[in-house]
Amino acid sequence: MFRPGLLICIPLALALGQAFTFTIGSPVASQDFQAKTAAFVFRTDGCADPAKPQIAGTAEGLVKGARQSVTLKVVASSKPGVYAVFQNWPAEGVWVVNLKGACGTANAGAIVPVGPKGFIRESSKFFARAATDAEINDSLKTLAQGGSK
Amino acid sequence: MYKRHISRQLAPYLDGLLEPRETQQVEVHLRSCEQCRAERDQIRLGMAMIEHLPQIEAPESIWSAIEAGLADGQSSRRPAIPWWRWALAAAAVMAIAGVAYWRLAIPARTRWEVVRIDGSPSVAAKPIRGAARIGAGDWIETDAISRATLKVGEIGSVEVGPNTRVRVVSERPGDHRLALAKGEIQAKISAPPKLFFVETASGTAVDLGCEYALNMDEDGSGLLKVTKGWVSFQWKGLESLVPAGASCRTHAQAGPGIPYFDDASDNLKEALDAFGFEKASTDALSVILHESRVGDTLTLWHLLSRVDLAERNRVFDRIAALTPLPAGVSREQVLKLDPQTLNRWKEELAWTW
Repeated sequence: MFRPGLLICIPLALALGQAFTFTIGSPVASQDFQAKTAAFVFRTDGCADPAKPQIAGTAEGLVKGARQSVTLKVVASSKPGVYAVFQNWPAEGVWVVNLKGACGTANAGAIVPVGPKGFIRESSKFFARAATDAEINDSLKTLAQGGSK
Repeated sequence: MYKRHISRQLAPYLDGLLEPRETQQVEVHLRSCEQCRAERDQIRLGMAMIEHLPQIEAPESIWSAIEAGLADGQSSRRPAIPWWRWALAAAAVMAIAGVAYWRLAIPARTRWEVVRIDGSPSVAAKPIRGAARIGAGDWIETDAISRATLKVGEIGSVEVGPNTRVRVVSERPGDHRLALAKGEIQAKISAPPKLFFVETASGTAVDLGCEYALNMDEDGSGLLKVTKGWVSFQWKGLESLVPAGASCRTHAQAGPGIPYFDDASDNLKEALDAFGFEKASTDALSVILHESRVGDTLTLWHLLSRVDLAERNRVFDRIAALTPLPAGVSREQVLKLDPQTLNRWKEELAWTW
């Protein structure tokens, strides 16, 4: 469907330097009580229509040396463009969340390590594209070694 | 949300008989419907009046007189009864029928359950061994080796720690309210915000969808520690918003202090103690500003409204140095303590908390 508003908003967002990206936060950032038990919450920034970006994700794990992948449980919060990630992956092993997003022609990706005490903001990585398998493996390896690269 | 009026749901709602989802729908409707609010208040008043009606036993003489009258009057002609007596009797019958209908149609208010965990906690001054019911006005008390769990209606539970005195103030579905006199409680609430309250001598903890521990001394000072969600700690117009991972002290006569994250530096926490609850200490503020990390903007944001203008400028500069100023937030509006601007900034800062 032709949406003239997007023709204006997308160049405007680009002109203002707002790249399409993810911002992560603790569940309290969503201001939504239903997200309080989430592993973390995230929002999309730099998309002209915050309710419309395509969001997908997986939890990628390393359990006893073997790679595992679990489709992510992402729940939209009461605020447009804000989502909660609930842990639906096993407690055993080390895990990162691999987020992918698309807004028009713009893409975004993020790798968010989740340890026993919750998500690790400092070790999270953000991209203007989907993360590669090598980047995910690298994050898992770092997490398994107890690092916070 | 209910689009029509909710007369039928009001009585079961007030008695706590609705499912949590229905309760929420009723409350959403009540917020926007003046007519239903008025009806709710009438029902609430009626229930309160019924609960306060005294039970009086009829004196023996009445029965003797009735029996004598019956024996006497079998054969004799009865005198004409004035019309007003019939009216009075009819009114009395109607009133009794109304009360009876109310009592039969509306089951008794659900009281909360208290279950012993350790030792011998008491409810309304009576020790309990297994479980007991508790209602508004009743106290739960524990000694040094006792603990109990209180089921808070349908919305969660509260663990009552040792050496604790806590009273149920209200057990209504829209107002689950305790008063903590001393000791520790741990609350786990799964409900929309502002349905569960804990009053203390120096502040009321308002649940915004959360789990927390609240510890109070008899002198009215205490500590709130939040593990999930948010708690709003309020006292005489003062409000401290405490998110998961943060704590907030409260002092008698001063109310809730400045919240801080539990992983903040010891220097920052000590400076906050020195900062006091009413007057700023410049040295302490310098330490707080110097020690603050990005996440400590929680503490700095609260300081904005509790310092004078010169110090507010310093706090503003420190927050702006730690995180980019979001759109719609200006120094001018912050220094004026514009509520919308402060809220906008808090919502943005919360992404770093």
